Amino acid sequence: MGFREKLLDFKRRLSDRKMYSIVIVVIGAVAIWGLSQYRQAISLQQKLDNMYNRAFYDMLGYVNNVETLLVKSLITSTQERTAATLQEAWRQANLAQENLGQIPVPQHILANTSKFLSQVGDFSYALNNQTMYGKQLSDEQYKTIEQLHGFALSLQESLADLQNKLATERIKWGDLAAKGKGVFNKASSEMPEEQFTDIDKTFQEYPTLIYDGPFSDHLTTIEPMGLTGDMLNSEQAKQSVVDFFGADKIRQINFRGPNENGAIKTFSYQVLFKDRPDEEDAVIDITQKGGHVYWALRHRPVPQEILKMEEAKEAGKRFLEEHGFGSMVDTYYIKEDNMATINYAYKQGDVTVYPDLVKVKVALDDGEVLGIECKGYLYSHREREIPEVKFSPEEARKLITPRMEVLSTGLAIIPTDYKTEIFCHEFKGKLNDREFLVYINAENGHEEKILIILDTPNGILTM
Amino acid sequence: MLRKLKFILILTIIFSMFTLSRYFIVAGPALYPGNYGEEVKSLQQRLKNWEYYDGTADGFYDLDTFLAVRRFQECYGLYPSGIADSDTLAAIGLRKYVKAGTAYAQGTQISNEQLLARAINGEARGEPYEGQVAVGAVILNRTRDPKFPNTIAGVIYQPGAFTAVSDGQINVPIDPNSTVVKAARDALNGWDPTNGCLYYWNPATATSKWIWSRKIITKIGKHNFGI
Repeated sequence: MGFREKLLDFKRRLSDRKMYSIVIVVIGAVAIWGLSQYRQAISLQQKLDNMYNRAFYDMLGYVNNVETLLVKSLITSTQERTAATLQEAWRQANLAQENLGQIPVPQHILANTSKFLSQVGDFSYALNNQTMYGKQLSDEQYKTIEQLHGFALSLQESLADLQNKLATERIKWGDLAAKGKGVFNKASSEMPEEQFTDIDKTFQEYPTLIYDGPFSDHLTTIEPMGLTGDMLNSEQAKQSVVDFFGADKIRQINFRGPNENGAIKTFSYQVLFKDRPDEEDAVIDITQKGGHVYWALRHRPVPQEILKMEEAKEAGKRFLEEHGFGSMVDTYYIKEDNMATINYAYKQGDVTVYPDLVKVKVALDDGEVLGIECKGYLYSHREREIPEVKFSPEEARKLITPRMEVLSTGLAIIPTDYKTEIFCHEFKGKLNDREFLVYINAENGHEEKILIILDTPNGILTM
Repeated sequence: MLRKLKFILILTIIFSMFTLSRYFIVAGPALYPGNYGEEVKSLQQRLKNWEYYDGTADGFYDLDTFLAVRRFQECYGLYPSGIADSDTLAAIGLRKYVKAGTAYAQGTQISNEQLLARAINGEARGEPYEGQVAVGAVILNRTRDPKFPNTIAGVIYQPGAFTAVSDGQINVPIDPNSTVVKAARDALNGWDPTNGCLYYWNPATATSKWIWSRKIITKIGKHNFGI
């Protein structure tokens, strides 16, 4: 039977009466199913649009609040009021930034807006802290607030403009979110993206902000202090790789290229081991200056746990001593997959220097070191001038709640989120069966930090 | 006549496959109608306590139990399949019947480690170990950068940020012993093979022209890493 005949045959059958009704029923069923699917899709799209709108309008509201609060902070006359206003600005800016991250616009298009909101919040928080310790805002800081307010104002204006277009449905979130997924919505998707690009352009003249906060711009240009020695080439630096893993274990070293990002520039190597398959390799970065190990990570499964934690800590310490890290003490550790990641801090005299941090990963089957991470140490290590203790431990103790039972005391230098250091009394104490670390500034008596000690079967960590 | 029947049968099968597919795709351990045992008993007891079920807790998953589970699912906004899947068990508070240590997409309490591991699984499954740690490190670097959201969930679920999130691959359950979990742990413990990169892309499949304007810092496996 040819195709044509088949078709004719099919047509004949269709004209059969019973078949007729069956086909109609089937078509009807498919149509109903299709319609319900379509309606489901529409309602899902609507739900999504509603969420995007919610995020957008929330952000708009928070930006408005930030703008007003910045103005208010310029004219408040009491320190309590200034602190409260700045604190609220910090909260509102955070919320605005959080909602910004939920809008379906590619991240790079609103990168500067996001940075602005992060920094406004962070900056307000830093000033709030300063005010709380009774230090007035300087003229320069007031000037920065004014500048930031200007940006907040223009951001608010462009967002209001966008809101108009959204309200009149000239922009649809669906177009943005579905970008590049269909043939038909490609053309229209350009438009809303440009709107956002214009907003982001507002921040081209945005100043460099330096203050005491984790998003401050000075953190990107920080100079590593522990990086000593001469500049090496990739062949000379290879010696550090051999020293680290041991010449007897290495089968092959492959140079993977330089890494010039950031303040610490490195050479990267891949290491293959004797009697081990290629997958169980290691990657190690050696600093171009001085040939220090920046970090290393070996991928080897550890089948069982034989060593006790004390032995593992000892093995890590010995390894550090053999590789030029003297006077390190273990602080916290975590056990995972039969490996222990142990934090070691530098100890200068009787002061524990937490910023000079080295993390060592020890295999708990034979005590072999499988990884190291020295970023903290290389950035901050140096012999420090330890300041004079102005508050004695007894005086500092009086500043801590009497409900805490003190178990031990010591001196420590702790890092802040913005890469400065504070000289403190470290009190380890107990309250309601929970252990805490309380840090009291040894120079001015401020309570700087409180950590909860988590003592779990898998490690001792702080929170 | 036979052909007609065949035609109708095929149509019905295709049709029902669409609608019933949700009943067959059940992630993880579950209790089904027809099951018998202590687990069903506790399920019935809970449903009875909350007045979804008014039979006896006899440990047999019968029609009444099926309907009770359905009612419960409707009230809790779960898909009313009548099957006590892992989500339903979790909502009822019988989570312990879920195999210990396995991560499920819709579980109630997924820690950062699990979230990061699933993102790595979706984005860099076939990559060398170092490449997996690197993807985790990029996500963590983003949380510390003012241009990005400040939390791990915020970064991962930022609209359009990761293809594995857009196409749902992030929901693929992962084996707790797989390398992606170890990679997530190493990234969380501070190892960063990218030395501070914020972006990565696969040069063979990247569709965004913009991404090529980024400065390439390093190449690991199939991915370029950049700032």
